[in-house]
Amino acid sequence: MDAYIVHLERLPALFNAWAKDSALSVPSATPEGFYEFIPWNGEAEIAWDYDLIYNPPKRFVMPAKETLISFDLKDLQAKPVFEAPAQIVFGMHPYDVKAISQLDQLMELGIPDQNYLKRREATVIMALTPQSVAETAFWASVGAEEVQHGFDLYWTKIGPASFLVEVGSKKGEELLHAAAPPTRATVSEKEAARRAKIKVNQFARRKQLLYNWEETPRLLAKNWDSPLWRKNSETCLACGSCNLVCPTCYCFDLVDEVDDKLETGTRSRSWDGCMLTSFALVAGDHNFRPKALDRYRHRYFRKGKYIYDKIGELGCVGCGRCVRACTANIANPLAVFNALWEESTHAF
Amino acid sequence: MAKKPKVAFFDFASCEGDQLQIANLEERLLDILEHLDVVSFREVSSRRGEDYDIAFVEGSITRLQDEDRLRGIRAQAKILVALGACACIGGINCLKNFLAENVYREEVYGQYARWYGTYAARPLSAVVKVDAEIHGCPIDPNDFARQVKELLLGKAPSNPDYPVCVDCKKAGNICRYDLGRPCLGIITRAGCGAVCVTQGAHCWGCRGLSPHANLDAARLVMDRAGFGRKEAQNLLRFFLGHTAATL
Repeated sequence: MDAYIVHLERLPALFNAWAKDSALSVPSATPEGFYEFIPWNGEAEIAWDYDLIYNPPKRFVMPAKETLISFDLKDLQAKPVFEAPAQIVFGMHPYDVKAISQLDQLMELGIPDQNYLKRREATVIMALTPQSVAETAFWASVGAEEVQHGFDLYWTKIGPASFLVEVGSKKGEELLHAAAPPTRATVSEKEAARRAKIKVNQFARRKQLLYNWEETPRLLAKNWDSPLWRKNSETCLACGSCNLVCPTCYCFDLVDEVDDKLETGTRSRSWDGCMLTSFALVAGDHNFRPKALDRYRHRYFRKGKYIYDKIGELGCVGCGRCVRACTANIANPLAVFNALWEESTHAF
Repeated sequence: MAKKPKVAFFDFASCEGDQLQIANLEERLLDILEHLDVVSFREVSSRRGEDYDIAFVEGSITRLQDEDRLRGIRAQAKILVALGACACIGGINCLKNFLAENVYREEVYGQYARWYGTYAARPLSAVVKVDAEIHGCPIDPNDFARQVKELLLGKAPSNPDYPVCVDCKKAGNICRYDLGRPCLGIITRAGCGAVCVTQGAHCWGCRGLSPHANLDAARLVMDRAGFGRKEAQNLLRFFLGHTAATL
């Protein structure tokens, strides 16, 4: 893989060049002391050492609400609506890149999701090696500490003002040449980046699964009847926060809206969540997951087994957002999987 | 489209702020009114008609004589829509329900307390059948427009049955509990777009309990976050006074 060296003082020129044709987002601290991707405005202070972006980056490829179809109530015609603005997300941590790669795979399965794919096609992702690890994160123990694909460029800080930039796509390499051409990285600089990654990954391993993450599907399969599901779900608020902040949750609801003249309308999709009581409500008032227990267990099976059964990776990248978002303090995949492991006999 | 449905607006104990919100639709109101025949709307028109199909009723029921008037409206209207927190859930009028009757009558009417009959405040649904509810204090004019259009298209008017947290996450807000502040969004019916939190406040619960609210869990959450029983109770009683749950 090609790699270049870029110095800090060259970044504003690069950013300004990129921002001409694309909406560029960069990580920045919020007034409350959290971190978010914000639009680059020419001088935003970049939070190089952020620990976690507060809201999941899935909104770049799957906004909270998105129009799919426009229709006319008079001639009863409908037209597809595609919105795919050119955008660059700079500074995404590997676990979030992995989450988007997972969405890429799932949205292509079966009937490809055209709205998603068009938006994704117009999105450039620039990864960034973390320098801090969120208190609630455990990405290093679910195989999400590094990514080999899903990014266009991969930035790693190797000195006080220098970055090693690995190339993940031709588009990424072109963008790197948007201002003055960068210099190629030497072997020792590549080694410095490798060490930077090892260092933060080792630190991140302080929060760990008690077993190899690939055992999770089997662990869950034998724990369908665990008393843990009932115990934890008694405190569930059914607020869906764990779903909505999850970078890999993609379920949506459809809604039709018409204009005030009752002449035209749109069909949109917006984020939904399997922890909401009526998520599984279908015609005839049947709810196939009526109890908090059913819904609570479903989420862990979804993250730990069902996604694995489809594509061979966990549906959880260990970002730790749900751990923080759950006010009832029951949405911690690491704690749940470890508790199941401890109470299981391990005669697989 | 068939003949325009005749609509009328009524109010009981309330500030009439919800009807004001409808007037605040301004130009949009003209488009919506193309499909309606407003026979009575005291706040914006002097026309008075007694023949109507849809009644929008604001305010809570606080006196025995209110009940007769409301039953009369119910008998006339094919569809009765509760408008705003007072009508839908009782709202802040229910604050008095936690006081003794003689205390709140004295407080409001002073030496004339004996002249006025008044009882514990309650929502319309405690007296008559309500067909649709437009929640909020005040209502969101967009929500009014949405539900009216649903009625006009022959759909059943609907409300979200999940908590405000959903709206908050969609808006990308920082959770109030992450800021060490109390918030009733965890048990309150969504549909407001989490407007209070987005503007920097917290959720007061004006859209009522979400139908599957877990009050025990909410009390635990507030307690763990450092808001004791008294503080949680004050917050819960503000809008949610009319409930069988112990607040």
